[in-house]
Amino acid sequence: MRSAATTRTFASAGQGQGFASGSGGTSTTSRTAQEAFDARAPQTAQVAILDVHAFRRRQGDLLFSLLIAGIAAFFAWAFFGYTGWDDRRLPEPIGLYVLDQIGLAEFEGRARLGRILKQGWVAPAICLVILLPAALLNIIEAWRTYRWRVRFKQPSSAYHEVILWLRALEFVGWFIAYTALVPILGYLLSTLLLGTLLPLRLGYRSWRWLGICLLTSMAIVLLFRSGLQIRTPVNIWLYDQLPQDARNFMLRWF
Amino acid sequence: MAAFYEGLNALLQPSVMVAILIGSVGGLAIGAVPGIGPAIAIAILLPATVFLDDLVSLVLLLGVYGSSMYGGAIPAILINTPGTPVNALTTYDGYGMTRQGQAARALSLAYSASFFGGCFSILIGLGALMLFGPYLRDLGALFGQRDIFMAAALGAVLLIAAHRKTMGLAALLFAVGFLISLVGRQGLRGIDRYTFGIDYLAAGFNMIVVIVGIFAISQALFLLTGKDADPPEARIKGGLLRGFGELRKHPLVATISACYGTVMGIIPGVGEFVAQFFSYSTARATSRDPGKFGHGAPDGLIASEASNNAVPAAAMIPLLALGVPGEALTAMMMVVFFDAGIKPGPDIFENNPDFLFSLFIALLIINVLVVLTLLLSTRFIARIIYVPNRLLGAFILILAFVGVFSIRNSFADCMFAAGFGYLGFILRRLDWPLVPIVLGLVLGSIMVDKLTAGSGQIRNAVDLINRPVSGTLFVVICLVILWMIWTTLRTKRTLQP
Repeated sequence: MRSAATTRTFASAGQGQGFASGSGGTSTTSRTAQEAFDARAPQTAQVAILDVHAFRRRQGDLLFSLLIAGIAAFFAWAFFGYTGWDDRRLPEPIGLYVLDQIGLAEFEGRARLGRILKQGWVAPAICLVILLPAALLNIIEAWRTYRWRVRFKQPSSAYHEVILWLRALEFVGWFIAYTALVPILGYLLSTLLLGTLLPLRLGYRSWRWLGICLLTSMAIVLLFRSGLQIRTPVNIWLYDQLPQDARNFMLRWF
Repeated sequence: MAAFYEGLNALLQPSVMVAILIGSVGGLAIGAVPGIGPAIAIAILLPATVFLDDLVSLVLLLGVYGSSMYGGAIPAILINTPGTPVNALTTYDGYGMTRQGQAARALSLAYSASFFGGCFSILIGLGALMLFGPYLRDLGALFGQRDIFMAAALGAVLLIAAHRKTMGLAALLFAVGFLISLVGRQGLRGIDRYTFGIDYLAAGFNMIVVIVGIFAISQALFLLTGKDADPPEARIKGGLLRGFGELRKHPLVATISACYGTVMGIIPGVGEFVAQFFSYSTARATSRDPGKFGHGAPDGLIASEASNNAVPAAAMIPLLALGVPGEALTAMMMVVFFDAGIKPGPDIFENNPDFLFSLFIALLIINVLVVLTLLLSTRFIARIIYVPNRLLGAFILILAFVGVFSIRNSFADCMFAAGFGYLGFILRRLDWPLVPIVLGLVLGSIMVDKLTAGSGQIRNAVDLINRPVSGTLFVVICLVILWMIWTTLRTKRTLQP
């Protein structure tokens, strides 16, 4: 069993920071493993079941609720042009038909409800009946929480949250770049590149991590492409530059 | 019994056994890593199942589902971080034992309780199939299109009701999932719904693209933008077999918890959390030493693990019997059913009884395999929990690409998956639940399909509910909605929203 200090080195080496002597410091190396564990284990940290179920609206919630409501409103507007509403076939007068359905009036025509239900606009209409009130209620709840935060001087600005959302776009960019690279360099090379460059970007800069990442990337390619023969792009620029036999081999296995 | 042997026969094919082994061991490892969880693993594996045989695909996913909770107990006990969300209560007493230097005892108890809970619900399922199989074959005649529609509607209502205090949010996200499922060309009349003239959208969003985006890519982004955990390392001293002997001293707690898990698993939308909560509360209420709960009580650990492991087999029952998934993982399995052309629902008892036996026996084998693996390699698996989170994020991103691209060789799919992933990331950041989106996607399409297929028999609104099953389900829906309104009104308004 390694000492806690060794463990810490293992855990933090990936960030390229090495072991910073914290509360335990190098003195922990002289303790037993259990003592070292006790020294670092939080005394009161306990995941409460109520915490797991609890929902507390965070900063940025109001902004995102407004965005979702905006999208819901857009789909409500698009309902009239993009769901077959223009070609609807409804019995006339519709009011009397609805009253007839709930037994409050008698409709003279022969319209079947089933004929209405299979029209294209019905399902979006049912969906919007849930979506729009739920989006509105959500904004009200988000607004109440925001007002509460402002009133009791709790952090309420969405700035830091939005910055974090924007930071995530960098990794979406990595994903899209990877997707774009595969038809140029092939699945093998692109995966090896992403599997090493992204960890490097994240701070895993030792040779050990580089080796682990390369091996893991290679294993993914061997498992999914070579083993399971999962489809990847077939027209690959780099493979086209190779001799015919090598090209065929690479296309088949990588 | 013929169906039983046919099911067993199908299972004993080498490819199926290999899938069970890979799923079980893979699920263990995945469950042991905090931050991944079975939903992400299944989301990534879903596209691979397109290339595999139906039974191979399903047992592979079942392996991940059935074993991940075993694996999730390891970090819960050793580093106070649940490997999967349903292991949250395991931290209470499991970590308490670790702090007392009894990590091996806690792990051993967790394994034995999980094994008991898992086998309990599987045997209940198998017993029900054997006893009532001949009668269940007649069930198909009772269930028409309108009945399945109503069952799916009940699943949706129960899902929303299960999100107490966030029912509005669950309804909103369910509707978002439903909306996503509606995009595309309607089969019967060729009407384009919400395609906005974009050719790609005419085929609709592929469910796997949405699921990989919402679950896998979003989690990758979440891990990549977060920080690496640096947990202290706990020491596992002693044998891992003694928990099986100790479990015999707590038969009542284990049995009650397994019963809770089985019953809650059957009810769509309820699942492991509620089962765990009830089991734990009952165990504490009936314990002679309730003060020890939360500080290393074996009863608490048994209650938590026996109940959550009883759920997977039970959750298969509404999926197979009604074709209605109760939570995200079974919803993802539903996608495999769709792809395989198998229609889960009452007819399955008539058409594929051997298939049902295969699935339940597979679950039993998975439980045995997992326990054997854990007894032999816990110390090795325990190393996995120290893998840095952000590195995991990078590799989930790589796996997500192959998952999405392989479905239709489409780069547009990858772009949309990235978009859904980004949406899922923001939802994760805000703590909004993701499960209603997936269930909206699956249940929404079931409801639309059944309503359209059954429209020929609907002359007026009463025809929707004038059958015995649909009428009963409608009454249950009304009762649940009334209960939701009642609990919402009854909840005292606190100062903080």
